[in-house]
Amino acid sequence: MNEDTAGLTAQDTAPFRRLHPLSILMKSTTMLGRNIIAIIVLHFSLFDRNIAYTLLAALALITLVAGVTALIWSRFTYQVTDREIRIKSGLLNRNNRSIPFDRIQDVSLEQNLFSRFLGLMTVKLETGAGGGDDDGQLDALARPDAEMLRDTIRDYKDGLSADETAADDRLVAAETPPLFAMDNRRILIAGLFNFSFVLLAIFGAVAQNLDFLLPDGFFDPRRWIEALPEQEAINSISSEIRIIGALAAILSLVTIGLVSGIVATFVREYGFRLDLVDTGQRGFRRRRGLFTRTDMVMPIHRVQAAILQTGPVRACFGWYHLKFTSLAGDANGETDHSAAPCARLAEIDPILDQCGIHQAPLDLEFGRVNPAFWWRKAVFAGLIITAIALGTGFFLHPGFQAISLLALPVLLILFLNWRHHQYALDDSQIYVRSGWWRRKLTILPLRKIQSIDISQSPLDHPLDLATITLGIAGGSAIRPLKIEAIGFAKAMDLRHRLLSRITMPPTAG
Amino acid sequence: MIIRAAILLLVAVVAEIALRLQLGVEPGMVLIPVILFAALIVFILPGRIYRRWGYDMGDEQLRILRGFLWRTDTIVPFNRIQHIDVAQGPLQRLFGLSTLIVHTAGTHNSIVTLPGLATANAEEMRDTIKDHIRQDMI
Repeated sequence: MNEDTAGLTAQDTAPFRRLHPLSILMKSTTMLGRNIIAIIVLHFSLFDRNIAYTLLAALALITLVAGVTALIWSRFTYQVTDREIRIKSGLLNRNNRSIPFDRIQDVSLEQNLFSRFLGLMTVKLETGAGGGDDDGQLDALARPDAEMLRDTIRDYKDGLSADETAADDRLVAAETPPLFAMDNRRILIAGLFNFSFVLLAIFGAVAQNLDFLLPDGFFDPRRWIEALPEQEAINSISSEIRIIGALAAILSLVTIGLVSGIVATFVREYGFRLDLVDTGQRGFRRRRGLFTRTDMVMPIHRVQAAILQTGPVRACFGWYHLKFTSLAGDANGETDHSAAPCARLAEIDPILDQCGIHQAPLDLEFGRVNPAFWWRKAVFAGLIITAIALGTGFFLHPGFQAISLLALPVLLILFLNWRHHQYALDDSQIYVRSGWWRRKLTILPLRKIQSIDISQSPLDHPLDLATITLGIAGGSAIRPLKIEAIGFAKAMDLRHRLLSRITMPPTAG
Repeated sequence: MIIRAAILLLVAVVAEIALRLQLGVEPGMVLIPVILFAALIVFILPGRIYRRWGYDMGDEQLRILRGFLWRTDTIVPFNRIQHIDVAQGPLQRLFGLSTLIVHTAGTHNSIVTLPGLATANAEEMRDTIKDHIRQDMI
C-alpha cells in the first residue's frame, strides 16, 4: 500500500519537461537542408535567376520552418515517472502516449554530426510494437539528460531505485575491456567485402536532381542515338585499344564498388565497440558510427537467435558477421542486430557464450535437403530462359538466342545453393545453413521456437516433400527461418524431435 | 468462395464482350471454360478444403491442418501462446460458430486461426489453453 501511494505521488509530482531548445535549431536546419534543392531549382526556373526573389523566398521558408518547428517544440512535453514515460505531442491532433518501462525493449541513443556539435542526443525507445520510429522518440535532449533517462529505464528494469547507481555503472562500462571492438584496419577489411554501388547510386541521384545544370536532353536517348554514327570513328581504332578501353571501364566500376563499400562501412562502423554491461540485467552495449554515433543497449535475455553471415571469399579468409535476432529491430530497418561485423570465429565464441548459445560442434553432421531443391527450380528457370531466348531470337534478332547461355550460371548457382542448404540438430539448438553467395548460418536455441509449420505446395505432393518454417520472435517477417525441400516423413520426425524438447518445462528465458 | 467465383464470372463476361467487339472471337471461347472453373470453385473445392481442415488439442500443443493444394500443418506449443481470441462474424453468429485465434510472439505465424468451431467448443479450448499461458515466455 505504502509503496503504491508513494508511486502515485511521484507520478503526480514528476515535472513535465520539454526537449532541449537547441533541438529547434537542429530540426529546422535539417528540414531546410532538404528544401535547399527546391530553392535552387526555383532560383533557376520560376524566379528566372533573380537573386532578390530567391532570397525573399528563402527568408520566407526559413521563418515558416523555424516557426512551425518552434511551435511543435512548445507543444511537446514529456514526463518521466518512476515506472513509465509519458509523451504529449501534436499541434492540432494532441497525442498523449504513455510507455511503461516494462514494455521498453531497447533504449538507443543517437547523435548525428550536427547534434554532436550542439551536444544533443536523440533517445529512441523501442517497444517491439510494429511501425519503427513511431514507438517513442525524444529528439533531442542534452547529452547528460539523455544518458540519465537511459540509466533510469535500465535501473528500473534491474529493480533498483533510480538514484545512485546511474553515474558509476557508466564508469564501470568504460573501464572494462570491450567484448569486441574493431580498429580501422578491421573496418577496412570489412569494407573490402562490402562491395557496393551505393556511391554510384548517389551520383545518379545527384545527377537527377541537378539535371538542369546538364545540357538539354542529356537523358534523351534520341540524342545519344544521333551521336552514335561517331562510333564509326571508334571502330577504326585498333582492337587492342578497344579491349584496353573495355578493361579500364570494368576496372573503374570495380574500383567505385570497392571504394564505396569501404566508405559506407567506415561511416557506419567507425569506432565499433561492443561491451558487456552487467547491472543485475545483463546486456550488450554497442557503440558505432562516424557521423551518426549510436549507442544501443540490448538485454541478453531478449536474444532469440544468432546468425553468422559470410560469403564465399570471406569464408576463405575466415571472416564472419555476427548478428542477433531480437524482439526489436535494429536501426535503419535492419531486422537483426549486428553484434560483430567482421570477426574471426574465435572472437565470436566469447560473445555467443554470454547469451548461452554455442557454435556447432565440429563433429556435428549436417544433413542436406532433397536435390529437388535445385533441380525443380532449375527446370523452371531453364524453361523461362529458353522461352525468352527463343521468343526474342525469333521476333527481334537471332543474336538474342545467346540469352540461353545465361542458363548455365543460373543452374550453377541453384546447385551451389542446394549444396549450402543444410541443417543439423543437437540437444539444445538447431542449425540451419542457407545460401551460397550470402552464406547464413542460423543458430536457434530450441526453447526460443514459437511455432512450427510443415507446409506442402502442390509441387511438393508428387515428390512427398515439405517445407518446415520455424516461428521466432523478431527477425524478418518476409524471410522466416525455413528448411526447404525435406522429405515429408523426415520433416515430421524432425518436428517431433524439436517439440519433445520445446514442451519440456522451459529453462529460464 | 461463391463471391470469388461470382467476381471471376463477371470479369469473364466483360472479357468475352470486349474480345468479341475487338477481335470477333467465337462466342463462348472465354465464358465456357470460366464457367466450368467457377463451378469447380463453388461445388467441389469447398468440400475438399473443408475436409483438409483439422485440429488436434494435445496435452501440450495445438495442431492445425489446413489447405488442399497448399497444405500446411502448424503446431503451436501451449506455453508459447501469448493471448487468445474467440471471434465471431455476423454469418458465424447465425450458425453458432466461432473462430479461435491464437497469438504467438513469433514474427512468422504470429496469428494462428482456427475457424468454424462450435462456440461452446471454442470457449472450452480457450480455457484449456489459458491455463497453460504463463508470463515471461519471451
